[in-house]
Amino acid sequence: MRMLVIEDDRDAASYLAKGLSESGHTVDHAADGEQGLQMALGGGYDALVVDRMLPGRDGLSVIAMLRAGGDHTPVLILSALGEVNERVAGLRAGGDDYLTKPYAFSELLARLEALVRRGQPDQVETLLHVADLELDVLKRTVQRAGRPIRLKPREFRLLEYLMRHAGQVVTRTMLLEQVWDYHFDPQTNVIDVHISRLRTVIDRDFDTPLLHTVRGAGYCLRAPD
Amino acid sequence: MRPTRLFRTTALRLSLLYALLFSLLSAAALGFMYWSTGHYIDAQIRTGLDSEAHGLLRAYERGGPAALRGALQRRLANIAHTGRHYLYVPGDGRAPLGDLRRWPADVVPDHRVHNRWVDASLLPARDSDDADYLPVLALRLPDGGRLLIAQSMKDAEDMRDYVFATVIVTLGVTVVIALLLGVLMGRSVLRRIDAVNATAGEIMGGDLSRRLPVGRRGDEFDELALRLNAMLERIEQLLVAMREVTDNVAHDLRSPLNRLRNRLEVILLEPRSEAEYRQTMEQTIADADQLLKTFNALLDIAQAEAGVQREECAALDLTALARDMGELYEAVADEAGLSLRVVLPGDGPLTVRADRHLLAQAIGNLLENAIAHVPRGGHVSLELTRREDAVVLAVADDGPGIPAEARERVLSRFVRLDPVRNARGNGLGLSLVRAAALFHGAELRLSDNPREAHADGHSNRGPGLRVELVFKRS
Repeated sequence: MRMLVIEDDRDAASYLAKGLSESGHTVDHAADGEQGLQMALGGGYDALVVDRMLPGRDGLSVIAMLRAGGDHTPVLILSALGEVNERVAGLRAGGDDYLTKPYAFSELLARLEALVRRGQPDQVETLLHVADLELDVLKRTVQRAGRPIRLKPREFRLLEYLMRHAGQVVTRTMLLEQVWDYHFDPQTNVIDVHISRLRTVIDRDFDTPLLHTVRGAGYCLRAPD
Repeated sequence: MRPTRLFRTTALRLSLLYALLFSLLSAAALGFMYWSTGHYIDAQIRTGLDSEAHGLLRAYERGGPAALRGALQRRLANIAHTGRHYLYVPGDGRAPLGDLRRWPADVVPDHRVHNRWVDASLLPARDSDDADYLPVLALRLPDGGRLLIAQSMKDAEDMRDYVFATVIVTLGVTVVIALLLGVLMGRSVLRRIDAVNATAGEIMGGDLSRRLPVGRRGDEFDELALRLNAMLERIEQLLVAMREVTDNVAHDLRSPLNRLRNRLEVILLEPRSEAEYRQTMEQTIADADQLLKTFNALLDIAQAEAGVQREECAALDLTALARDMGELYEAVADEAGLSLRVVLPGDGPLTVRADRHLLAQAIGNLLENAIAHVPRGGHVSLELTRREDAVVLAVADDGPGIPAEARERVLSRFVRLDPVRNARGNGLGLSLVRAAALFHGAELRLSDNPREAHADGHSNRGPGLRVELVFKRS
């Protein structure tokens, strides 16, 4: 995927670019808001990473300009301003997700890939498949290899989210935000426990595991190679 | 107090201005009094002269010139008391009668009172100092005679002088008293302001514990001092809190950072296998994540404590929140061998104005604490109760509890009562709960968990802990 990083801190930008290209993406870099806006308007990017505070033109203003021009490229906002108000302001300006510095690169990558995926039309799919696992959003049923699996409502939502992002890494914070709709930082492994319960239900009786733990990052639901 | 400073005070300037205004007003009032007194005296004199002329005319009408002479004789004997002077020039050519020596040239007998110059040469020797413009009334009698009555002004002048002196003295006393009061008021205001200034100076000098003196009068100065003291109190609290954070950050972040650095340094001392490098790197990332977590928790606490009004503060149904959190942590409690029960009132939603995420974090921290400290087989409950004037959200357990004397302390940052068993906690959990309570205007109460409240009453593990967040209903 082609990504544009608009970030004035050269070190942070080059480290981001390196990480993203090693993860298989093509990365362009703009060092100020004006240049970033021009490059973004040039188009062709799958996602933008925009720092909030930029010389020339503020990050939020870049996003607002893009949105005003009808450009709906997914945008991840990076900011040292972590207050909830700032977060709300960022999302209101047209950002799709917001990440506070300091952040883990794995978190950024996972969120960025989730954003790109969300921008694609398969969002409306109501019958999800990963290998022999099948989830019907409308009938609220799950089966694997033809065998029905019973899930509690929250487990169903958790699995649905994982399946919609199949093949991608999703982090614990993403799950807490997207599945439970809470934005905070639990001090314990609360998400891990829910994942391990889900794993018991969907993987235990089968030879090939689908739900994998990605060390230091999160989880990934994917079909075997 | 130097006089120049005193003169610069607003209080003194105002009082002087008022003194001046007051003096001017008094002067005007007293002047009017003086003028109207004079006017009154004049009127009295004219009336007196008119009725005297009337009396003498009546005597003439009753008994002719002889009767008039008799009446005049009696009056001339009494001149020392009445202060009047007379002259009767009969129409029949007989000798004039009266104490005036001759008829003044410019007096015409027109039956009206005029002020005319009466020279000393006209007056009898003993009354020569009566010479002045005197009110004079002259009459023409039916037989062609003329009668003149003049009133000495000596008594009236005395009266006028007396009134004038009174006016001047009164005015003087008024001005002096007004000035004196002004100076006194200025001094007393200046003294109180000086006290405030002195204290402010000491505070700026670094002694934040100083407070402004508050008098017992309850006047506007005391009110101001109370307000300012409350403000100073808040500032001091904030500064102390900030200093605490800085100390904590220094203490609790520096050692793990140091550990992290040392580990990397040691691994670089000599060549190692790739597996070893990888393992160290992973450990380092895990440590860094923990540091970030601590750092973020500190920021959350600081933000909640600063009480910044968040945009996300909205009407929130606590029953839904409790149900969500119960559902989120039920599995964790289960893994730890504990039962987690959510107790909700049966009668609909309980709504408070709250920041959903902050409150969720607080409840999460309480549940995590309970799960970390209660031994296997224990019970944890998340209860929501409706009271007359409040909504109470409680997390209760039957674990080891917290001794009463340590309850205040555990709310502080980085305090762990049992560092060995709960090594993974960062000691910030309850601090955030306290900050969240503060932010929502809720009261935070820690107590033992009464035994009868335990689910099945079997256990004999410890006093248990009950943490309540009491949301007052407005």
